[in-house]
Amino acid sequence: MRNMTLYVHLENGSPVHRMDPLTKMFYVFTSVVISYMLPTHLLVSIVLAVSILMLIIGKVFRSILPIIGVSFVLLASILVVQGFFHPDRATVLWDIGPFTLYKEGFSIAFLILLRVLNMVCAFGVLILTTKPDELVEALVQKGLSHRFGYVLLSVLQIIPQMMALTGKIMDAQRARGLEMEGSLWVRVKSFIPLLGPVVLRSLAETRERSIALEVRGFNSTGKRTRLHELPQYPYGTVAKTLLTSLLLFVIVWRIWL
Amino acid sequence: MSLLHVEQLKYRYPNRSVLALDEISFTVDKGEFIGIAGRNTAGKTTLCYALCGLVPHFFKGAYGGRVLLDGDEILASSLSRITSKVGFVFDNPFSQLSGAKFTVADEIAFGLENLGLPREVMHERIQESLHMLGIEHLRRKNPFDLSGGQMQRLAIASIIAMQPEILVLDEPTSQLDPQGAEEVFTIVEKLTQDGMTIVMAEKKMEKLAAYSDRILLLHDGKLIQDGEPAVVFSREDLMEMGVEPPIYTTVAKKYGLRKESSPFPVTLEELLAFEMDEPLDGLFPLQEKLETSHIHIEELSFSYSDGQKVLDSITLDLSSEPIAIVGQNGAGKTTLVKLMKALLIPSDGRIVIDETDTIDTTAAKLAKKVGLIFQNPDDQIFKKSILDEVMFGPLNMGITKAEAKSLALQQLKAVGLREKAEENPYDVSLAERKLIGVASILAMDPDIIIFDEPTMGQDYEGKLRLQEIIAGLHAKGKLVICILHDMDFVSEVFGRTIVVGQGKVLFDGTTKAAFSQLDIVQQAQIELPHRYQVARAIQQKREFAPRTS
Repeated sequence: MRNMTLYVHLENGSPVHRMDPLTKMFYVFTSVVISYMLPTHLLVSIVLAVSILMLIIGKVFRSILPIIGVSFVLLASILVVQGFFHPDRATVLWDIGPFTLYKEGFSIAFLILLRVLNMVCAFGVLILTTKPDELVEALVQKGLSHRFGYVLLSVLQIIPQMMALTGKIMDAQRARGLEMEGSLWVRVKSFIPLLGPVVLRSLAETRERSIALEVRGFNSTGKRTRLHELPQYPYGTVAKTLLTSLLLFVIVWRIWL
Repeated sequence: MSLLHVEQLKYRYPNRSVLALDEISFTVDKGEFIGIAGRNTAGKTTLCYALCGLVPHFFKGAYGGRVLLDGDEILASSLSRITSKVGFVFDNPFSQLSGAKFTVADEIAFGLENLGLPREVMHERIQESLHMLGIEHLRRKNPFDLSGGQMQRLAIASIIAMQPEILVLDEPTSQLDPQGAEEVFTIVEKLTQDGMTIVMAEKKMEKLAAYSDRILLLHDGKLIQDGEPAVVFSREDLMEMGVEPPIYTTVAKKYGLRKESSPFPVTLEELLAFEMDEPLDGLFPLQEKLETSHIHIEELSFSYSDGQKVLDSITLDLSSEPIAIVGQNGAGKTTLVKLMKALLIPSDGRIVIDETDTIDTTAAKLAKKVGLIFQNPDDQIFKKSILDEVMFGPLNMGITKAEAKSLALQQLKAVGLREKAEENPYDVSLAERKLIGVASILAMDPDIIIFDEPTMGQDYEGKLRLQEIIAGLHAKGKLVICILHDMDFVSEVFGRTIVVGQGKVLFDGTTKAAFSQLDIVQQAQIELPHRYQVARAIQQKREFAPRTS
């Protein structure tokens, strides 16, 4: 693994890839917020279905599956906690040995599950179909400091490098007789000889990299330009207006109606 | 008016008592190539920093004298203004990548974007510098996927694209393998021919001598001499300052080859102008064979988990004398020694060390038997004092503190760091930290000592010290195995050489035979030792020269 970007590059792109980053961020925000405001399973399912549809149009549905897999533990624990222990329990759904699954709890758990799934999928639409540098650039143009933008981007590439470095350090310390396999105590003891070099080397590298950045004018105060034009998205305004009205409608509906 | 004018420059790093630069004055004119020579700690890097404004704007500290760039005083200028005129490339190719760009072309654009150049100009300059550095085919690759030599060329391309008036290079090849170094030197040569003004600090004196109009010889922060390469390299006291002249000068000095009182030759062409006889004998000393531990490698193959085959059915017997392992990057050398140290487990075949099969043991348990000294000492250093660092290994073997201390002190003495035992490892130079790495393994007193690239980054004195250490270990009946890129060191220290290429053993025999077989040298893409190159050139010249007598 050379970098941590999840961006899926497609030779011909897709309608979702072509959407501009800001519109996609708008989409993520709206989708997540309304999924929490809408009260029924059906409505939340529709929101989720839209996110999944976006993923399918973006030809990245497959790539979201491992991410859902990772969040599975969280989802399962929501089901268990709410299903078995929710205070409003009344209707018994199943008896599993000494435990009883209640319908009320399960229903709430299922709603939460749909919302979390939608959140994962909606963020997936953004992350999987947007080049990280374009995403950050869009934010910088909206006023994010270019230094912070740099940090966001460099983390993606530098963390995997640090992981590779840890492998080297492990070898070097094992060569000096540091035992790393065995009891928990042995492993805990081996932590400092590993952490020390990682931190010290990262500091040294950071200093060198800041020299390299200085030399390349990173701190110059003049106006910056950009090599790549951010792709123009003709439907951006329309899409954002629609999303905003939808959001306003849901807010008004849920609060005043 | 000269492009760069340095006047009585003095500088001291914060919290240090010694001057890093002491009353340095010189000038650089447009189109000149200035070489900086000197041992580690002479002040080469600091001088480079001072020329591109990092001293005093980035590194604070005490600063005196003046550096004028195009008439503007660096002290009064802003760093971004200076760096738009002076390009700076340093040794570590990896930390020069911005880290925020995902393709080679975008990486070059990083500096141009900061300068605020219009888009068309950027595209033009990127194209130009990709072409000049010969990396056009890499433009869409991720910078982190490049080899060291390619990465360093990208670093130079990124600077060149900013069109500086002066290019300052601080040992640009010291962390590269010979092939990568050659790639970079080819570029430096091309830039020089194009009339770029260049200041380069470098340890490879043959290269400095070939490119430089003048050499600045530094020692302990002082400018000892500012003169033509031939004059500087002919100095009698050069070695005392830890600088080894180009091999051509050494040969010429040995035979007294110079025209009356003029200086000695510094390049091969100049040397060949003289009549002389440099015999090949005595070039490759044979080492005495002694009783040592024994490594038996049988039909050894290794593949990484992604299926990439690194070693392919290797059979070797290692014992009796110091052995060099050479070959290109990616040939499988480091993998081979990691297998010997049980850091990796063979995919097929086996390694038996004396009586122990490496499958039946762990790297930690092998500590007493096999010591492996890694390339980069910073991968292991984590203690606050050098002594503690060296004691870490022996303490892991379960001996008492007092014993560990005496072992550690003994080895620190052997590597010449006894006086610095109480200092923080990060307060000494990288070359010295490499020696800490050596001492920390030797303190465990293993029977077999494996070095991975010990000469990288070492100057003349450091290499000499390593040579002594290896000879001392051999005399004590230890088996020394060394991975090396430095063929001069191989030819001077090792009687037996193993050439590895594409995961196979291409050659195993005497060092002399290894370099005599040109097909193997070519196949493994290794260099010939400089001394040997000279001897061969002389021989060829004699064979083809018309017989006049």
